[in-house]
Amino acid sequence: MKHRILAFVLVCALVFGLSTSAAAQTYRFQLPKEEVHVYWNSDGTVAVDYQFTFLNDVSADPIDFVDVGLPNGSYDFGTIQADVNGKPVRVTSDYQGDGPYGVAVELGNQAIQPGKTGTVHVYIGKIERMYYPDSKDETYASGEFSPTWFGAQYVSGNTDLSVIFHLPQGVQAEEPRYHLPTNWPGTQEPAFGFDADGRVTYTWRSTQANGYTQYTFGASYPAKYLPEDAIVRTTFLDLLLGGLAALFGLIARLLPFCCFGVFFFGLPVLTAVQEHRRKKQYIPPKISIEGHGIKRGLTAVEAAILMGQPLEKVMQMILFGVVKKGAAQVEKRDPLELSVADPLPEGLREYEKDFLEAFRRPQLSVRRELLRDMTVRLVKSVTEKMKGFSGKETIEYYKSINEKAWRQIEAAGTPEVKSQMFEEALEWTMLDKDYDDRARRVFTGPVYVPTWWGRYDPVFRSSTAASAPSAAGGGFNLGSGRGSALPGAELAASIVTSTQNFAQRVLGGNFTESVTKVTNPPPPPSRSGSYRSGGGGCACACACAGCACACAGGGR
Amino acid sequence: MNLFTGFFKRQAPRSSTQPGLYHYRIQRPDETARVHLRLEADGSGTLIVNANRILHLNPTAAWMAKQVLDGRSQAEIISAGRQTWDVHPQTLLNDFSTFNFQLGELIRPDGACPVHELELETIAPFSARPSAPYRLDLALTYRCNNDCAHCYNARERQFAELNTEDWRKIIDTAWELGIPHIVFTGGEPTLRDDLPDLIAHAEANGQITGLNTNARRLSDPHFVQKLVEAGLDHVQITVESCDPVIHNQMVRASAFHQTIQGLKNALATRLFVMTNTTMLQTNVHTIPATLDFLADLGVPTIGLNALIYSGKGKSVGTGLPERDLKPLLETARQKTEARGQRLIWYTPTQYCHFDPVQMELGVKGCTAAQYNLCVEPNGDVLPCQSYYHPLGNLLQDEWHTIWNHPLAVKLRERQDLPLKCQGCALLAECGGGCPLQFSTSALHDGLAGI
Repeated sequence: MKHRILAFVLVCALVFGLSTSAAAQTYRFQLPKEEVHVYWNSDGTVAVDYQFTFLNDVSADPIDFVDVGLPNGSYDFGTIQADVNGKPVRVTSDYQGDGPYGVAVELGNQAIQPGKTGTVHVYIGKIERMYYPDSKDETYASGEFSPTWFGAQYVSGNTDLSVIFHLPQGVQAEEPRYHLPTNWPGTQEPAFGFDADGRVTYTWRSTQANGYTQYTFGASYPAKYLPEDAIVRTTFLDLLLGGLAALFGLIARLLPFCCFGVFFFGLPVLTAVQEHRRKKQYIPPKISIEGHGIKRGLTAVEAAILMGQPLEKVMQMILFGVVKKGAAQVEKRDPLELSVADPLPEGLREYEKDFLEAFRRPQLSVRRELLRDMTVRLVKSVTEKMKGFSGKETIEYYKSINEKAWRQIEAAGTPEVKSQMFEEALEWTMLDKDYDDRARRVFTGPVYVPTWWGRYDPVFRSSTAASAPSAAGGGFNLGSGRGSALPGAELAASIVTSTQNFAQRVLGGNFTESVTKVTNPPPPPSRSGSYRSGGGGCACACACAGCACACAGGGR
Repeated sequence: MNLFTGFFKRQAPRSSTQPGLYHYRIQRPDETARVHLRLEADGSGTLIVNANRILHLNPTAAWMAKQVLDGRSQAEIISAGRQTWDVHPQTLLNDFSTFNFQLGELIRPDGACPVHELELETIAPFSARPSAPYRLDLALTYRCNNDCAHCYNARERQFAELNTEDWRKIIDTAWELGIPHIVFTGGEPTLRDDLPDLIAHAEANGQITGLNTNARRLSDPHFVQKLVEAGLDHVQITVESCDPVIHNQMVRASAFHQTIQGLKNALATRLFVMTNTTMLQTNVHTIPATLDFLADLGVPTIGLNALIYSGKGKSVGTGLPERDLKPLLETARQKTEARGQRLIWYTPTQYCHFDPVQMELGVKGCTAAQYNLCVEPNGDVLPCQSYYHPLGNLLQDEWHTIWNHPLAVKLRERQDLPLKCQGCALLAECGGGCPLQFSTSALHDGLAGI
């Protein structure tokens, strides 16, 4: 009755089709019940009605797509309907399963959740080119059908499976012949009966079936009940070519589906919970390495360099630093002139010493050159400190410090406390790229200026009795009625103006360029570029704690 | 049916990401990289580049790495990726392009720094919990032709030794466990005549091999050539001082000239050569001169370490306090930098006494029973080659009982550290230093119950 060799090929190919698509699955479910009605219609079409009862595993992903493979393209999409637990769901042509033909049932909000049971009903109303000649009796037509099966790694347990063939209208009770089912654990002979329309039915049922085995059922009946052109005739050449192609896997993935319609008697409808949801959830690729993330302990000035703040702002921050420490006093704001303490106080950083050295030189060009050298050294120092640490994470960290400083100032209960906090965190607040605006927003009233403010502001110094203290250090004039205050807006403007003066009058137009020319910082990663202008490997210590380097042992 | 399934699976793009260890030699005109990809059952992976750069890959990255290293084209990878994940093609393409660029840089010996240039995500030092170590030290023998007064070896010199076949089994077991790096040590491993055979066996598996030696036998160039031909990748040679008297005094043998000749012979080959010097009171005054001496010889990488408190090291009394290490290392750093050498410092210290990160020597902490293990001459497994407390026997015991031995877990999880370490911000990096130095610590008290 059947071409055995081709049937064998078909099975192998189907296994391949399932195993490859299943390789991406993460699902686990049971199929406690499945009922399939196959309507062999007298107009030469076939309708299939599936009812799956899924029990999703508690630890599995929800089942929210069911891709239904079809044996050929001769189906009427408009006849396909689906529901879940009686609630209609969408069927689309967005089929992503194996093979060229099929539809996708989108369960949507009816998705079967982990640990839950759901019944998926799929009705395919019209498929053509599904009848074949019977090889034993030329007056008979034949059809075979394999209900869907799933990868064994995803489905477990027994399935109460019923397959009901509804033979064409008019077929008499004594006329049809059933084919012996393959792999079937139940009784080989189907139960004979009639449906509500009086059509002969064959019913195979077993409670010992499962969802991962392919079972094949078939029946033959007189061809006279079908239109002549409904029966697909194949040639020997078709069979030969199809068999060879299948055997050698030349069109391994597509072949089984192509072959169904052309060479075989039956209607193997390959239904699969696959692709959409069998596909793994995508998580972008990520490579991580053990080591330090954030470089803590940078000064505000160093953090500003790291964050790429304008160099005039960096200069202004250094200026505040040396004034606060009592190492310098501003004699003139525009153009900026400093008097430098001699000897210098303890605790100055290298860049502060360099900064002061530059301002000891009266000639502007020499001063600029020294400031440039200072900046170059500062950039290199920061680069060195950052080796093995994440620039991105470190910048985020210092941004958070900046934000925290502002929040504390904003939350301060009194102007005195607010001013004190501002003084303490002055350089950190300057890391804010919108410093001016934020300062104006925060300081709406008077601001008590720090005691060192007189050293910074000559005008203020000359106008207040508390100006120009000789000792280094901070502290505020906070005594009742004795404090010196400036309008907040004026204070902010003073800092901003000073910074602008730095840019225009001290550093000049091409200062930044003169620095970057020397520091030649590595450009940010790009897919096409190279990281370094000069060769050599990454000199960084890399904080590569995970290194199982070649330095095993030792100490002998 | 399985036969056919297997046949077809070999054709399938998704069939090649089985858990296991995969080895790749990436040959470029001017360089060769040895790359190992360890795929875990959960799909995640570890990329080990030249046995010294460890990168952790999430499942997507591990999958992509496998495809790239297998030589698949971008089109094939994107196509296979679309079948694997529910992802927009453009997203997949963009992500893959970025990943592929990073991977290329990570494999290149002079590629971008993964931390401050590639900006890879950094995770806490020593936070990885691999399924097996990355490196396995094989102490082939405890015999030695030197007799160092400070030697960490705590066993008798005539300790039982496995035969060649058993060592081969151990090497194979290591490969099956996913261990890509084998270091032959001792004792003095060159006293085993089967050393070249064992190196060749490991190399045939795909493992990177190294040798820790006093190099006296390497003074025979023919022997060195045998090791090279066997496939040896790197060698670490102990040089205690440039002063022959000091060196011989420390190793208690007339060994200096043989060792230096061995060093020269090794340097004349393709081997990656480094030296190691233990800084003790005995040789501390010769360290600067020794560094110059080694630089003049052309040693590219210098290793320094402090006394290991094990074996004779526990009682030798010549160790330097950790706080005395800083000026020495500062000198070493300056000298090696000036001579274009790489400096490796690998003694785990308590960072409150000596912080290698501040010294820009990198993060150094104990990795015993985490990233490395040691196999004794009889097959017993030690947390490290100085920690003489067997976790089991690699030929006799199940791997999980060895790897999850209470002591291994205790070391990995850094339990029972000194009280002063509790709450320390540097604990992740420091880990309390070398556990062996806790002479009266809770760690040893805790071991009593094991």
